[in-house]
Amino acid sequence: MTTFYNFKRITVVPTAPELKDVVLSKTQRKTPTVVHRQYSIGRIRAFYARKIKFLQQTLHDKLTQIITEFPKMEEIHPFYADLMNILYDRDHYKIALGQMNTARHLIDGIAREYVRLMKYADSLYRCKMLKRAALGRMVKLLKRQKSSFEYLEQVRQHLSRLPSIDPATRTLILCGFPNVGKSSFINKVTRADVEVQPYAFTTKALYVGHLDYRFLRWQVIDTPGILDQPLEDRNTIEMQAVTALAHLKAAVLFMMDVSEQCDRSIEEQLHLFESIRPLFANKPVIIGLNKVDIRHRSELPAEKAALLDQLEKEGIPIVETSTLTQEGIMTLRDRACDELLAQRVEAKLQAKKITTVEDSVLNRVFVAYPVPRDEKVRAPFIPAGVAQKRAAAKKAAAANAENSMDVDDQSVAAFRDENTRRLEREIELEMEDDYILDLKKHYLLKNPDEKYDVVPEIWEGHNLSDFVDPEIQQKLEKLLKEEELLEQAGEYESDLDSDDDETKEKMKLALKIREKEKLLTLETQVNKRLAGRAGSRVLSSRKRERSMSRLEHELGELGVDIDTKKMKNLQGQCAKPQLGKKMKVGRSRSLSAVRPAPRDEIAIPDPEARHHAVKLRNKAMRGLRREAKKGEADRHVYDLKPKHLFCGKRGNGKTDWR
Amino acid sequence: MALRVDYEGSNDVGVFCTLTNSYCLVGVGGTQNFYSILEAELSDIIPVVHTSIASTRIVGRVTVGNRRGLLVPNSTTDQELQHLRNSLPDEVKIRRVDERLSALGNVIACNDHVAIVHAEISQETEQALVEVLGVEVFRVSLAQNALVGSYCALSSQGCLVAARTPPETQRELAALLQIPVVAGTVNRGSELIGAGMVVNDWVAFCGLDSTSTELSVVESIFKLGEQGAPTSISNQLRDTLIESML
Repeated sequence: MTTFYNFKRITVVPTAPELKDVVLSKTQRKTPTVVHRQYSIGRIRAFYARKIKFLQQTLHDKLTQIITEFPKMEEIHPFYADLMNILYDRDHYKIALGQMNTARHLIDGIAREYVRLMKYADSLYRCKMLKRAALGRMVKLLKRQKSSFEYLEQVRQHLSRLPSIDPATRTLILCGFPNVGKSSFINKVTRADVEVQPYAFTTKALYVGHLDYRFLRWQVIDTPGILDQPLEDRNTIEMQAVTALAHLKAAVLFMMDVSEQCDRSIEEQLHLFESIRPLFANKPVIIGLNKVDIRHRSELPAEKAALLDQLEKEGIPIVETSTLTQEGIMTLRDRACDELLAQRVEAKLQAKKITTVEDSVLNRVFVAYPVPRDEKVRAPFIPAGVAQKRAAAKKAAAANAENSMDVDDQSVAAFRDENTRRLEREIELEMEDDYILDLKKHYLLKNPDEKYDVVPEIWEGHNLSDFVDPEIQQKLEKLLKEEELLEQAGEYESDLDSDDDETKEKMKLALKIREKEKLLTLETQVNKRLAGRAGSRVLSSRKRERSMSRLEHELGELGVDIDTKKMKNLQGQCAKPQLGKKMKVGRSRSLSAVRPAPRDEIAIPDPEARHHAVKLRNKAMRGLRREAKKGEADRHVYDLKPKHLFCGKRGNGKTDWR
Repeated sequence: MALRVDYEGSNDVGVFCTLTNSYCLVGVGGTQNFYSILEAELSDIIPVVHTSIASTRIVGRVTVGNRRGLLVPNSTTDQELQHLRNSLPDEVKIRRVDERLSALGNVIACNDHVAIVHAEISQETEQALVEVLGVEVFRVSLAQNALVGSYCALSSQGCLVAARTPPETQRELAALLQIPVVAGTVNRGSELIGAGMVVNDWVAFCGLDSTSTELSVVESIFKLGEQGAPTSISNQLRDTLIESML
C-alpha cells in the first residue's frame, strides 16, 4: 500500500582518494597487461583503448550507483524531504549529487575523446602516453569532487540512523515545550528507551516507539521540545518537530506542564499552543496536562484554570496525566488513538469507491444473525471439564501473580502438575532418536490389558476385517443360553443307545456300509497304482463309474432302499460346506503394456510412401555399399598430429601455446 | 480461547486436524510439536488421536465429524478404521462412506446440529450424515465457492465464512444454521477458513500467521473469550477491521 522508507541500504560512499585507488587497481587487474612492440599497431591500440574504456565503465558504474541509491528529494514523502532539507540542506545535497552526475558525464566525454585520439597513435609508446593522459584526467576529476564525496558519506551515515518512520501509518506525535515530559510519556506507553534528563533539549532528534492498541500497531513519535518563537528563528532541532507536525497525518498530543517546573508558565505554554495551532489543522488534538502529581489542576489559580476551561470549551480535550504515578497515561493514549482511528476510518470509507468497499470490507464487519426457523434448541455442547480447567487456570494465574513469578513460568505451571499426563513432545525430547510414536497407548478398550494384543490383519490370503462379525459376542451368548436351556430341558439326558431293534438294525447296516466303503477305497487305490504303471492314459482313463444305477444296485445289496428321488434331497447335504466368503485370492491377471508401432511406421504411416522411401535409401546407399566406404555415421579419428603444430620455426613460448 | 499453532511449518492446521466436541484427530507427523499443543489443551477433556487416513496425514480434509460420529472416506484402510474405533469413545459412531467427492472435509461443514454440504454429494452420504452425525443437511454453496468445507468453519456458536461471501449468502446461511455468520480471513488474509483453522464449542486453533485482528474476530464469532460476542465485530472491532483492511 505504501512505500516503505529504508535509508539503511545505501552503500558506503568512498572518499575520492580511496575511489581513485580502487578503480585504478581494478583496471590493472581486469585488463590484459602484456603488450609487445612487435605486435601489429591495431592490436596495441586496442590494448590501450580497452584500458581507457574499462576505467570509464568502472567509474560510470560507481557514480551511477551513488546517484541512484541516494533518495531523490522530489520523489520521497514530503516529510522526509523536509527533514532532509533541515538536516542536510536541500541545496547542498542537490549540488553534491549534481556534481556526481557532472563528473560521470565528463568522464564519459574524456574516455570517448581519448579512444578517438588513439586512432592516430602510431607506436606503442604514443599509445601508452595517451592512455596515461586519459586515466590521469579521469582520476583527477574525482579528486576535484573530494568534498562532495565526504559530504555524501556523512549524509549517508546520518540517514541510516534516522528512525524508520512510516508516514502513512497510524501515528501519535508528542509535542510541547522542552522538559514537559514528552519523552517520559513515550517511555511509559512504548518500549522505546528515550533518554530523560531534568534539563531542556535532552531530546535532540525524532524518536519512534510502537504500541499495540485495539489489535493494531501504532507509531509514537517523540519530538524535541519547541520554543515559542517565529519560524525563521527556530533552530534545526526545533524544526524537526515542526516538520513532523506539518507533514504527518497523525494525532497530536500537546504536552503541558501544569506544575510549571519547566520554567514556563501555563500562559506561555498556551501561547505556544495557539501559535503552532495552524499545524494541527484537520488533526485530532489532545492536551496532556502532565505532572499532576506535583500540582493538581484544581489547585491552579483561577485565571489559569479559566484559560484551560476556555480551551476545553473550544472542543479540545484535556487529560490530566502523571508520568511518575502513571495516572491518566492510558486514558490519554486511548483517547488519542480512538479519535485518530475514527477519523482515519471515516476518511477511508469516503475516499474509496463504495462498490469496492462493500465487496471487500463491509461484509466483513456485518454479522448475519439467524431468524429462528423452528422451535428446536441447538445448544452448544461444552463438557464440564472445560469450565473446571478454566477456573483452575485462572486460580493458578492469580496465585502466580501474587507471588509475582515470571510470566513464562506461570503459563506452564498453571496447567502442569504431577497428575497431568506427559506430553508426547516431552517424551520425544527425552528419548531423542529412540522415540517411536506409540499409537496404542491411549486406546479406550474394555480390558486395558488388551491394548497391545497382536491382531493379525491378513490370514491365509484373507483380510480378517472382511470376516469380522460385530455381533459375535451376542451370538455366542445366545447360543450358550440356548444350550443351557436345552440341557435343562433334558435334551441330552435320554441317551439314544442301541436298545430298540430298529436302531440295532440300523447300526448293523451302517457297519456294513463302512466296511464296504473301506473295501472300495482299497480297491481304487490298487487300481490307481496299476493305472499309473500301465502308462497309456487313453487306455487307463476310467469310464464314468459313478452312476446312479450302480449306486442303487450296490446299496440295494446292502439293504438300503434307494431311489432317485430320495437321493436328490441328499445332494444338497453332501455338498461340502463353504467356509467363509467366496473370493478370489492372489494376483489379478496383469495386462501387458501397449507397445508402440515400429518407428518407421510412426514416421511414415502411409505404407506406399514408406516403401518408396526404403527404395530411395537403398538406391542412395548402393554406391557406398559397393565401395565399402565410410559414411558420415561412421567413427572418424581426426588427425592426432596436425602438421601446423609440429613443424616450423619456434620462438617465444611453448609449443603447446602456438 | 483461540490459539495460534502450526503443523510442521504449515499454517493450514485445518488440513491436518479434525476437532469436534468429543474427540480430536491429528495426522501422524514427523514431530510431536503440534500434537502436544493440542494434547496439553484438550487431552484431559476429550481424546486427541493420532491417525492417518488412506495412509495420508491430511485427516482434516478427508474426514468430517461431530460430537456423535465420524465419517471417513472409502479409501480408509481397515487397520486405520480399527485404530479409530479403538481410540474413540464408544458413543462416537464411525462409518466409512463411498463418496465420489472423497475429501469429505472439503465438501461438508457441520456442527452438532446442522451440516452444509456441496451440492453434488451422493444421497448415500447425505443419509449417512443424518444417521451417523444426527444433523440436518442442506446443500448450499458459498457464493462462488462450492467447497463449503474449505471456505467456512463452524461450531454450534457461530460460523466464519470466506471474506468475499456477500451479505445475502451470509443471511441465508444464518437462517439455515441458526447461528451468527460473519465473513473473514485467517492466516494473514487467507480465505481458506476451513483449511486454516479448526474450532469446536470452546476452543479454536488458527494458523501461526493469523493476525491479532483475525484472532479477535474468531474469538468473538465463536464466543470463545470472556468478552467475546458476535456483536463486538460490528461494534468494537469495526474500526480496527476497516483500518487494517483498507
